[in-house]
Amino acid sequence: MGINPIEYRAWKGVRSAQKSRLYVIANSVFRHKIRSFGVIALLGLGFLLLHAFQIIFSVIAPHESLDAQTMYDYMGSGGTFAIFAILLAAVVTSDLISDDRANSSFVLYFSRAIKVRDYLAGKTSAALLIMSLLCAIPPVMVAIASIATQTGDDYSGSAEILGRTLAAGAVGTVFFVPYGLMMSSFTKRKSYAAIGTFMSFFVMTIVAEIFAGFDPAWRVISPADMISFSFSWIFGVEMPSYVDGWAVACLMTLFVTVPAIVVYVRVKRQVVGG
Amino acid sequence: MGPRIAPDPPKDDSIILTARDVTVRFGPVIALNGFTADIPRGVIGLLGPNGAGKSTFIKASLGLIPRDGGAISVGGLDPQTQSLRIRDDIGYMPEHDCLIPTVSAVELVSYLAQISGMGRRDAMQRSHEVLDFVGIGEERYRLVKSYSTGMKQKVKIAQAIVHDPALLFLDEPTSGMDPNGREEMLDLVRRIGATGKTIIVSSHILQEVERVCEHAIIISDGRLVRDGKMGALMAGEEGLFSITVRGDAKDLERFARAFGEACGLVSKTDEGSRQIVLSARGCGDGKRVFALAKEHGVQVRSYIPDKMSLEDVFLQAFQGGGSGGH
Repeated sequence: MGINPIEYRAWKGVRSAQKSRLYVIANSVFRHKIRSFGVIALLGLGFLLLHAFQIIFSVIAPHESLDAQTMYDYMGSGGTFAIFAILLAAVVTSDLISDDRANSSFVLYFSRAIKVRDYLAGKTSAALLIMSLLCAIPPVMVAIASIATQTGDDYSGSAEILGRTLAAGAVGTVFFVPYGLMMSSFTKRKSYAAIGTFMSFFVMTIVAEIFAGFDPAWRVISPADMISFSFSWIFGVEMPSYVDGWAVACLMTLFVTVPAIVVYVRVKRQVVGG
Repeated sequence: MGPRIAPDPPKDDSIILTARDVTVRFGPVIALNGFTADIPRGVIGLLGPNGAGKSTFIKASLGLIPRDGGAISVGGLDPQTQSLRIRDDIGYMPEHDCLIPTVSAVELVSYLAQISGMGRRDAMQRSHEVLDFVGIGEERYRLVKSYSTGMKQKVKIAQAIVHDPALLFLDEPTSGMDPNGREEMLDLVRRIGATGKTIIVSSHILQEVERVCEHAIIISDGRLVRDGKMGALMAGEEGLFSITVRGDAKDLERFARAFGEACGLVSKTDEGSRQIVLSARGCGDGKRVFALAKEHGVQVRSYIPDKMSLEDVFLQAFQGGGSGGH
């Protein structure tokens, strides 16, 4: 301790409100993630392949206004958007809970004035923010670029499509995160969580493909198709005749809420009393 | 934000934590079985063998595990229903490894300070202060995964005190540390205790508790076995004295015989090197002892009231020597 040990000093500051402390977690996770190689690579590649050409195309191709079909073709068809969203969700969410399980660090959080709900909200907000960098913000940029360079004067119609783009971006941002968090809560290894998230979606796609041979309505269980169908509903584009809009809505709701509940219950059981 | 647990209490508010008939079950296992205790302010030792219920009691006091029965009050608040109000004023150093290995100590402590409600700059400044205090130097910038067990223990105590809590729970603070590390940790506990904070040190290493604590609570099988101030717990039987004498073997033998007849010998221990320790009762102020020693040509090395070690207290408690308090 040395000849003159440093003595303990009391802290005289003022504490922040307990409810605002989830932003500390969100901020920390976001800063950590945004510096991670995997996330940077996926965001860069995704931006290049999904959005960069579309922005350039929107600016240089003559167009009267922003139309729904163009935005749907760009976001909803083909499945590339969904694949990148799945990959990014797998990478972003994989360690959010598994690492805390592996390190037994739940106790560091919950011996402080923080609830399980706030802990999860903090982690989820950061994941959603990262997801929005691929799924929501670039499409909105594309839409704005398109509106800014339109030749016609139907700006209200274009603004409506901008709103729909924002809604589609929000769906793409939110859709895969709860499932990824659930997988992260099942294991102590982030690699298992990431692979588990991606493989679950892959298996669901394979199963949908197999059963679609008998009845094309089975496509609704494929996550990429679910996203595509939801985008066609958002943009008001005609859905395939075999798709029941309500079935898609129910499945999507289940796909988001059930994993969210599972994550909450699992973390609560780890902590108890938080 | 809850009320602060006053670090400098009035005299009539000397109890910081009370437990009444607390029962905690984990399936068929009863971890706390009607545990009742009044824990005063100061440095308190929570003693008991492994599995006695020490960690369970700490976690129940933090509101981390639900009670199946009974009541706990921390500074007048119930941890089960008011845990968030309590936790801003409690620091907890867990027994097991819990640190995030992929960040540096200063990042980790600052992050946890912010979760405890400090502003970012304030948290960073305070983290450096507490890391200085616990003796983590330039290593604070290294990742936690590269730390030795002793350094990890220091970071654990730093994160527990960073938000300046009034009540500190230290669960086996010297676990896995070498003798030097233990000394440093006990010194830290002593120095934090000197600032007026209440520290509850859970340990099964009796010598450590004996050295730093003012009050001890002995727990076994989820029940209070014995508690009280250290001095009172370790005080021996009233009127019992211990005398250490040195001399030739023959003189010592004669002295012991005469001493036994005069004072009522209770025990005799030969320590070798021509020295014996006699325990006796009824020798009054000791004048007779010194007169006997002079008469038999032996030298009195010490003559003191009999005092037990905490280990004796502990063993006595487990042999049925105490129940429900001292």
